Amino acid sequence: MATAALALPPAAPPARPRVLLVGTALAVAGTLMAFAGLIGVYLAQRHGVLAQGGVWLPEGTKLPLTPGTIGMATMLLSGVTIWWAVDAVGRNDRPSAYLALGITIMFGLAVINSTTFLYTQMGLAVNTRTGLLIYTITGAHLAMIVAGLVYAVVMTFRTLGGEYHGRDREGLVAAALFWYATIAVYAVIWYAIYVTK
Amino acid sequence: MAVTETPPETVDAASAAATSPTPTQPTGLAAVLGSGDHKVIGRLYIVSALVLGLVVVGLGEAFALEGIAPKTLDIFPSDSVFQLFTLARVGSIFFLALPLTIGVAMVVVPLQVGSRTIAFPRAAAASYWGWLLGSGLLIGSYAMNGGPLGGSSEGVNLWIASMGLLVLSVLVAAVSLATTVIALRPAGLFLSRAPLFAWSVLVAALMWLLTLPVLFGLIVLMYVDHRHGAGSYLGAPTALYPSIQWLFRNPQIYVIAIPVLGFFGDVLQTVSGARMKLRGVAQAAIAAFGLLSFGAFLVAPSEAALDSILVIGMGLLAVVPLLALAAACADVFRTGSFKLRAGVLYAISAFLILLLAVIAGAVGSIPEVLDAPRSGSLSDNIFFLGVSHAAVLAAVIAGLGAVHWWATKVGRTPANEKLGMLAPLVLLIGSALTVIPDLVAGITGDELQRNADWTGGYAGTNAAAAAGIALVALGVLIAVVSLLPLLKRHDDAPADPWDGLTLEWLAPSPPPLDNFVGDLPAVTSAEPLLDLREES
Repeated sequence: MATAALALPPAAPPARPRVLLVGTALAVAGTLMAFAGLIGVYLAQRHGVLAQGGVWLPEGTKLPLTPGTIGMATMLLSGVTIWWAVDAVGRNDRPSAYLALGITIMFGLAVINSTTFLYTQMGLAVNTRTGLLIYTITGAHLAMIVAGLVYAVVMTFRTLGGEYHGRDREGLVAAALFWYATIAVYAVIWYAIYVTK
Repeated sequence: MAVTETPPETVDAASAAATSPTPTQPTGLAAVLGSGDHKVIGRLYIVSALVLGLVVVGLGEAFALEGIAPKTLDIFPSDSVFQLFTLARVGSIFFLALPLTIGVAMVVVPLQVGSRTIAFPRAAAASYWGWLLGSGLLIGSYAMNGGPLGGSSEGVNLWIASMGLLVLSVLVAAVSLATTVIALRPAGLFLSRAPLFAWSVLVAALMWLLTLPVLFGLIVLMYVDHRHGAGSYLGAPTALYPSIQWLFRNPQIYVIAIPVLGFFGDVLQTVSGARMKLRGVAQAAIAAFGLLSFGAFLVAPSEAALDSILVIGMGLLAVVPLLALAAACADVFRTGSFKLRAGVLYAISAFLILLLAVIAGAVGSIPEVLDAPRSGSLSDNIFFLGVSHAAVLAAVIAGLGAVHWWATKVGRTPANEKLGMLAPLVLLIGSALTVIPDLVAGITGDELQRNADWTGGYAGTNAAAAAGIALVALGVLIAVVSLLPLLKRHDDAPADPWDGLTLEWLAPSPPPLDNFVGDLPAVTSAEPLLDLREES
């Protein structure tokens, strides 16, 4: 009897599958590669034009640094608030978690606002190569912000529903991971497009 | 006393599994259209890929026939010949090789890693339906005179959008498969113990996730340029195909064939019935081959980039992992026994064709070898068409072989073994005949000619290639006929027809909705079924 019990012990289930976190990490890796490709094409094109003595920004267009820098600062602040939310859920401090998630969402909307304001200031046509690349890259990042916000909102509702708590905050950590990737991409865009122009 | 004690959490898990209600299997149309069962999704992928693959093989045959006598055998209208050529090339990857591989992986990988489901089942289902819709729209875009060099603006827009949908669908499938292998393994089944096929699918999915998003980014640029911009940069109909040519050249083309290595290792180890002492070498070889297939940095390449040490080095080094894997697999026969099975013939055929692709890729990477102009446009030399064909054919042979090998998990009954032994031999000869003429033509100075009388290669070698593609079509047909028994209902199909070593052979044939009946045994090695046999 003892031998039979030894021969066929049932396997324990995975301790913490963390499926959502792993899937998000993989999706983040893919998203980062998409932006790496886009920004790589942007830098290569700009380098090619400048190397031939050309002008990258067409005549009559401007790329003011202020809205982009404010957006960068806002994104960095949102990185603090989303971690505040994760930490608060870890301490079962739900009111702070709701507040932190709400502020993060507000910051995300503020960055969308600042970017669209920048579009109105640039005077850059999409039918130029510069305009095409800038609008595509920053537009794709706006889409990433929207996706991150939707993710954060869904996780907020799940937290409201009591799904996440001190011992399990996987969904919120996954949303935070995606949001940090959004911040990282914005930082590269800010430097490659807005600062170095 | 001590040996009969079970940890409390194990008892909890076992009783929870025993008391939890068994999910009910949906029936009728709902079982197909609304299913999140990875086996159903995988079967849909496999069947659809084989149907769409017919289009690709038919186009390939027509091009080879026209190449025999371009002036007299004017098969394609001169204004659409280049468009159809791009359909054949894109289709070979996105209609045939990738979906066939994904389909098999969807069915087999969760079973191999002892999971009762695939990760994100609804996303996996969405990937199939997205891929199917994207494939239909892509074909529709060509019908509208769209695609590269297409004359219809709406058709070109549709081509770009459908390409985006296809890539996105593959990426979703990759996330689903990779997460399954990473996060849904039972305790004890470490990654170092993962079956080689599951391991190769993980490596392939990660490489897809690291390279295909770059293509997706390009597609977004193409769409914005063509739809909203001047349409003079990446969105120009003349620029569409050159922008994605890096997909069809080595090293990037190898990413579709990474699971070939896992299938090869898995089948050979299973028929040997022995433990693989060099498992670490085999896994490292598959991972190294994956890394050496990273080709996204060749987006918008220059002549200098193609002749760089990095590209040459990657091309030459790619041969090493294949040889290392072959050595690791050969080593199992020192302790195991060899049994000739159809799966073995499929595995060896696929491996040999992939080896041909990789050796040819290595030779082609050396700048002085090819006389024909390289032009910085990647695939203009017909030599690289041969490399690409070889990688695709290796993936297809392995895909068909995998369906045969895991027939009782994919379908209801074992496949016809005799026909299954014939098919890989026909496919091997056909593939070699298809690929080698292009390699010979490329190395002796010929190149693709995108003119009205479409050609590339020489009349004689094209005749051999046409015979080769015809043999490939015949091989696929024989393989499909050998798989027809899978459709028959069979009440007592064997769960483990090959004396398997890994967990998928514990699942009943066909597997139920939650894959396994009862609890899985504790995994203490890479060959859990061998452990069970030894203990009993």
